[in-house]
Amino acid sequence: MRLWSQFQSWMRALAYRARMESDMDAELRFHMEAYAEDLERQGVDRDDAMRRAHIEFGGVERAKEECREARGVSFLATLLQDLRYGVRGLAKSPGFTTIAVLTLALGIGANTAIFNVVNATLLQPLPIREGSRLVVIWISNLEHGWSRIGPAGQDYLDWKEQSKSFDDLFMFEHGTGTVTAPGEPEQVAGLRVTTNFGEFFGIKPVVGRTFRVEEGAGRHNYAILGYGYWQRKFAGDRSVVGRSMTLNGEQYTIIGVLPPDFADLFSADLVVPFDTDWIKRADSDLGVFGRLKPAGTLKQASGEMSVIAGRIATARPSRKGFGVALVPLQNARLEYLRPALLVLLGAVGFVLLISCANVGNLMLARSLARQREISIRMALGAGRLRLIRQFLTESTILALLGGGVGALLALWSTHLLAIFVPSRIPVPNAADKVTLPGIHMTGKAFAFTIVVSLLTGIIFGLIPGLQSLHCNVNETLKEGGRGFVSRLRGNRTRSTLVVVESALAFVLVIGAGLMIKSFWHLLQANPGFRPDHLLTLRIKLPADAKDSQYREPRNQADTFHRFLTSVEAVPGIQSAAFTEIVPLSQDEMDMGYFLVKENPPLAPGEHLAADYRDITPNYFATMGIPLIKGRIFSQQDNLDRPRVVVIDETLARRFFPNEDPIGKHLQVPDATRPAREIVGIVGGVRDTGFDQQPRPTIYFPSLQSPDQTMSLVVRTSLPPGAILSAIKSAIWSVDKNQPVFDVKSMDEIISGNVSAQRLAFLLLGVFAFLALALAAIGIYGVTSYLMSARTHEIGVRMALGAQPLDVSRLVLGHGAKLVAIGVFVGVVAALALTRLLTNLLFGVSASDPWTFVGVGLLLIVVAVVASYVPARRATRVDPLVALRYE
Amino acid sequence: MEKQLELLQGTLDMLILKAASLGPLHGYGILLRIQQISKDRLEIQQGSLYPALYRLEHQGWITSEWGESENKRKAKYYQLTAAGKRRLHTETENWNRMADVIAGILGTKPEEV
Repeated sequence: MRLWSQFQSWMRALAYRARMESDMDAELRFHMEAYAEDLERQGVDRDDAMRRAHIEFGGVERAKEECREARGVSFLATLLQDLRYGVRGLAKSPGFTTIAVLTLALGIGANTAIFNVVNATLLQPLPIREGSRLVVIWISNLEHGWSRIGPAGQDYLDWKEQSKSFDDLFMFEHGTGTVTAPGEPEQVAGLRVTTNFGEFFGIKPVVGRTFRVEEGAGRHNYAILGYGYWQRKFAGDRSVVGRSMTLNGEQYTIIGVLPPDFADLFSADLVVPFDTDWIKRADSDLGVFGRLKPAGTLKQASGEMSVIAGRIATARPSRKGFGVALVPLQNARLEYLRPALLVLLGAVGFVLLISCANVGNLMLARSLARQREISIRMALGAGRLRLIRQFLTESTILALLGGGVGALLALWSTHLLAIFVPSRIPVPNAADKVTLPGIHMTGKAFAFTIVVSLLTGIIFGLIPGLQSLHCNVNETLKEGGRGFVSRLRGNRTRSTLVVVESALAFVLVIGAGLMIKSFWHLLQANPGFRPDHLLTLRIKLPADAKDSQYREPRNQADTFHRFLTSVEAVPGIQSAAFTEIVPLSQDEMDMGYFLVKENPPLAPGEHLAADYRDITPNYFATMGIPLIKGRIFSQQDNLDRPRVVVIDETLARRFFPNEDPIGKHLQVPDATRPAREIVGIVGGVRDTGFDQQPRPTIYFPSLQSPDQTMSLVVRTSLPPGAILSAIKSAIWSVDKNQPVFDVKSMDEIISGNVSAQRLAFLLLGVFAFLALALAAIGIYGVTSYLMSARTHEIGVRMALGAQPLDVSRLVLGHGAKLVAIGVFVGVVAALALTRLLTNLLFGVSASDPWTFVGVGLLLIVVAVVASYVPARRATRVDPLVALRYE
Repeated sequence: MEKQLELLQGTLDMLILKAASLGPLHGYGILLRIQQISKDRLEIQQGSLYPALYRLEHQGWITSEWGESENKRKAKYYQLTAAGKRRLHTETENWNRMADVIAGILGTKPEEV
């Protein structure tokens, strides 16, 4: 009610402002005239009486201002007045306004753009029920460096039966399936899930239903369509439920369609169910999520799961030495990108601070130039708070203008960013990838822009506002607006701002410098093979159907061999091979234990472990992996011949330190399988990432160790687009129903591997450049200002015989000195802050001395260059003019 | 003439209320009335009178009305409201009590402590 009456009073004040003003004038005039008349009656003459009445009344304007305030109605009126005054003032100095608005727009725009990325990735909740309580459960064997392996179906069943920390457990497997009807044959991204799928994620299907939990008891060929696939393949037809489709040669009934945002969690075209038998058969590389009980904590659950893991290890010896790794789903998804995003968030914050410092500096210069105006207003009775309010209004207008232009900049740069932010990112150490939601400009981002603009306006408006009020009215007026005392104080603030600015810029440029060096190292790193001119694609033989010829492993190997022969004949292909897993692709993992037959038996519980790779003979030649000793496979190493393997030098060094491994035999723990002779040693490959060391690897000839899914790697001098269709035709000439998928060049695979570093490298580079440019403008501004303030002094110096060189040294020295202090502060800050970069750096230390020295020098050079123009102007000062001027 | 006393902080409002309680007056009239009652012993800044009047009006203790002055000029007359009368009453009481206490303290002789 009180608020309402105040509001009414404001509105009245606005509406009757003119009348209230004239009333007030009339009342005060009446007072003075009445007093003057009384004085006249006492014998004072008329003019003198009026004068005395005025003097004894005191400051009329001040009294009026106090009356307006006393009436409590001046708030809106003053605001409007301030706004009008501010806009007029800004319009009168378009140069200042343009520079200030652009500087702010850069700072605010960059912040909004990065906010869009952070909002889409870190802040957006998962599109599922209570996503924050979901945890990913991996098994781990730290002794062999396996920190996150997908468990087997039996692990899932054991966990589900024994654990009490979870409301429910959910299991899934990424895969790919061949759809042959309706429509053209195509390979689709599939997801096989336990039947609690719908309930677990709280899915509300667009049409139809999800699986019923009890449907997991037996085999049901039901399929749920992903939203994108439904749109693409069925044009969003709602009558699709109940129709059938042919997947991997079997009939499936479509029962529902997933909501569109579910693709942010799983980008699957088709979802099909596990049944209990299938779960028992599924032996590795599955995904398991748990939903923590409302009262449960991650720590508690981890503890319980470790106990269960111990129990499982006793029951199933193959799980000896294995533990579990529990990570909240939201953390696991963004673990790869989070460090880069946080670094960028910090970096744009710095850019904004530098913008603020710059605009604060400009405002300060302006307020000092307006010292006389301010002094006069204060002398006329303007309150200090009233003046600060005026400054704040002005700076807020500027900041909102900057924010507006910044929002436009953000709109444009968000499009650009969306290209550089990877759409799929790896889950570290887990041979898995997740899809990131798309990045758009959102309403939230606009709100963010407005809040940031207002905050900036307050920050850089308050500094000069408070600053200028310290002035001594009398002094300033006496000196005709060139108050030297206050000018000195202003200089100190300005110099501090420049020091802060250069320190911030230094930290940013250091960050960018480190990232540039690191990225260069990454690109130069030798992955153990020649990554150029390689094209890869995957082929999965449809072996799941009951009557498939590919149920016989020998047929799988033969078919891949026929594909290969056909592809090798394509003109422009230098070399081609199949491999189970393409290095750096993070598609899958395959690893296991082995024994050296010739060595004494290992102590119980002790294991040797290595990565397994099934390849065709030409793989090493195609990839450019060097043969170090012995021989590689030949076409004769098939199922009819003695089993052979090739090992990499990492394995040779680690497990055969002082002996020749050639001729020794390796055996997998399963005793029914024959020992395999080591026939060759090849170079190590950084299989899991550029920044990882090569791991012990055993290569098996695929003819002796067939797979259902393999990747073709092709070395070709032709561009990938030009040769892809020829490769596909070659494959279809063998089997016209065989889809190929995951077509990627090795360059793309590598890009995906270093996407976080690339993002940090590119954006830090841009931000560092912005920071450097803004700092240069700041230094230029301060030096120019000091120069003009010291024209008189320089004139005197030159009149006394100073040479132009002395003068320019004086000016350049000042700029360089400020920046040198800034660099010193920056070094301290950078040493503390670059540690946050450690995760993103490769082959360079976070306190790399060369980068620090180089960037320090760069900044001083920038300072000297930025002071050069004012310095030249200084040397042109004509002593006579300068002296006359003052 | 004896030296004028400076007004104690916050007492001007009270004096205005008292002056206006004796009948409607314009601003200048209030000033004269206070000076007359105080026999010119108080120094009042003329300029500070009006903000005080506006403040009291805003608080609802006095109301104003345009009328005609003794010399046939337009002038704004102030009058006490009912709330203003109550206010003056409590202010007066408070002031008297305060004055008693202060006077008591200041009048204390050493042997009384």
